[in-house]
Amino acid sequence: MTEAKGKEAIYSEIPERTWNWLGVNTATVPEEILSSIAPEKIITVPDGESAAMTIVYRDEPNAKIRAELGEGATLDLVKVQLAGDDVTRADRVAVNCAKDATIRYTAVELGAKKTATKLNIELIGDKSKADVAALFFGTKDQVIDMNYVIRHRGKNTDATMMVDGTLDDHAEKIFRGTLDFVRGTEGSVGREKEQVILLSHDVRNRSVPLMLSGEADVDGHHAVSIGKMDESKLFYLMSRGLDEAEAKKLVTMAAAAPVLARIKNEKVTEEIENIIEGRLS
Amino acid sequence: MKNKTVIADIERTLYDIKNEDHPVYRTEKGLTPEIVREISKKKNDPEWMTEFRLHSLDVYNSLSLPTWGPDLSELHMDDITTYVKPDARMAGRWEDVPTDIKDTFDRLGIPEAEKTSLAGVGAQYDSEVVYHSVQSALTKQGVIYTDMETALREHEDIVREYFMKLVPPKDHKFVALHGAVWSGGSFVYVPEGVHVNIPLQSYFRLNAPGAGQFEHTLIIVEPHASLHFIEGCSAPKYNVTNLHAGCVELYVKEGARLRYSTIENWSRNMMNLNTKRAYVEKDGIIEWVSGSFGSHVSMLYPASILAGEGARCEFTGVTFAGHGQHLDTGATVVHAAPHTAATINTRTISKDGGEAIYRSAVKVAEGADHAKCSVNCESLMLDSESRSDTIPTMDIQGDEVDIGHEAKIGRISDEAIFYLMTRGISEDEARAMIVRGFVEPVAKALPLEYAVEMNNLINIELEGAMG
Repeated sequence: MTEAKGKEAIYSEIPERTWNWLGVNTATVPEEILSSIAPEKIITVPDGESAAMTIVYRDEPNAKIRAELGEGATLDLVKVQLAGDDVTRADRVAVNCAKDATIRYTAVELGAKKTATKLNIELIGDKSKADVAALFFGTKDQVIDMNYVIRHRGKNTDATMMVDGTLDDHAEKIFRGTLDFVRGTEGSVGREKEQVILLSHDVRNRSVPLMLSGEADVDGHHAVSIGKMDESKLFYLMSRGLDEAEAKKLVTMAAAAPVLARIKNEKVTEEIENIIEGRLS
Repeated sequence: MKNKTVIADIERTLYDIKNEDHPVYRTEKGLTPEIVREISKKKNDPEWMTEFRLHSLDVYNSLSLPTWGPDLSELHMDDITTYVKPDARMAGRWEDVPTDIKDTFDRLGIPEAEKTSLAGVGAQYDSEVVYHSVQSALTKQGVIYTDMETALREHEDIVREYFMKLVPPKDHKFVALHGAVWSGGSFVYVPEGVHVNIPLQSYFRLNAPGAGQFEHTLIIVEPHASLHFIEGCSAPKYNVTNLHAGCVELYVKEGARLRYSTIENWSRNMMNLNTKRAYVEKDGIIEWVSGSFGSHVSMLYPASILAGEGARCEFTGVTFAGHGQHLDTGATVVHAAPHTAATINTRTISKDGGEAIYRSAVKVAEGADHAKCSVNCESLMLDSESRSDTIPTMDIQGDEVDIGHEAKIGRISDEAIFYLMTRGISEDEARAMIVRGFVEPVAKALPLEYAVEMNNLINIELEGAMG
């Protein structure tokens, strides 16, 4: 999804803009998609309690989730997007964490022709924690546009953002991942890692890993790796008797495994595995 | 009755303001074609250059300020004529140079004779002698090294072929401004197969007085030739005006190699909005060494267009933002051909409320198979009054690529300080050692005397900041 075209409306923006020619400052969606966004789903986890929720989106309207985590609360939220391949989606997840609260968020983006998804986590309370993992697989002419922001606002907060994905055919993907350390967040730690495997000559991958800091006493780290599948791994597997397609499948599934392991619903996991395997066949 | 009178008064006042303000605004502000023609005439430009300047002015008027990056509201674009018109004070007197800059010269150990020229207020004394001896050695090799005005007179064909072709005026507002009012700068032409063994340094050569802020640098390194060019120096450059919009165009031909080093330390009132770009052909190599220490606001992102198969780029940069500084720096690499490779390695430091921003773009165009790019940027914050942001973008088309990016933000660890202190080193010195170690990749890439000056500069910056 690139800059506004005709009746496109801005859906999300990166917290700090950069060169316009890169086309990553804003994500746009058709105006009618924006107006059809479903009512907000509010998840409240009271102090000291924990909750787990897996939401699978197929034909349902766009996701609009807001989670409020009380002190010491824990939420394990899984969002799996398996919409039909002629659909355009605009999803939004916002999470506020009080002191000692933990959000464990897992996202799987497989469906839709175009998807613009944004995640905003505010680590407001001291020692609050965000553990985010996302998996995508773009195929045909899919466009996947993700804008994730984790803002450290409390002291000693901890954030991890892991994104793994594969692009095939003519697929396009933009991932904007921001770790923002606001002044006064002493002792906070943030890590961001993105790994993208490219399977076709016609794919386009854009990565924008932002790290913003107004606090010296923090430890921030981000890493991005984009390329073909590791040939030494493939070679090893093929020397063990697997053909190339099987070897590629195995390597892809191994990369997806840590994300899939976070989904407790086996039926959903199986369905995701089947979709990915189908795309690799 | 009273009410009626009051309303009438207000209406009249509003009317009067409109009548008084607008004509003043229209007639005396802004850059006009007449001013541009005047500059062109004064410089004895050929007709095509006058036309080029006027075209650039049109482009300048049609473009708006960037919608991203540092706040430029302190830059009053309506006052641009005052930056462009030669200022009598610019030819200047040594007495007018601020004391803090004079002190820095002393502490850096710059020879007396160099100080006035480095401050941009005097002639070059001893340097000129050095310059002449350098010049004769180069002439023997067929190298052309001169100022842009002379190049335009004596090598018009070459200048016309390359001038602002790589950085066209439509790129952004400040480049368009540059195209309209450029003045001074360096021109280097290295013929095929010639290796220039000594680094050429731009301050060894006299520029037109007052030409400092819109200078144009054009360097052409022909096939299989090599050059190391050093721009500026680590001493502060004082300028009474507050806008620097220079432009650097580097052409690296097949199998050629160019290293372009800059240690920039503009005075702290300067808006440094500079544009640098290199076009690298087959198997050519561009190496950038870029140190940003001065200015109030900087926007500087040297770009490398890897246009030929096997072209390479190495970028090494350090940025140090102190009190009142907003330094937005980084690099751009475009892989436009197969088997191109790039390495970007940067270090940024911020202290005393300074803002150091790393911004980059890596683009792999369609068909640039087997492109490799590795980016590493590390940021060190010395206190929490300061800011440090990392804003990289990677745009990759195709699958035959290998792109890696790594970034870190943090502070000096207490353990490292403690360890050094157990070895008998004072806390201040321990911190300074760690900062020097942090910028080592840049120091290593510089000629010795520049590395020493850069280290001195860091020591000066760190004085009083620690404790």
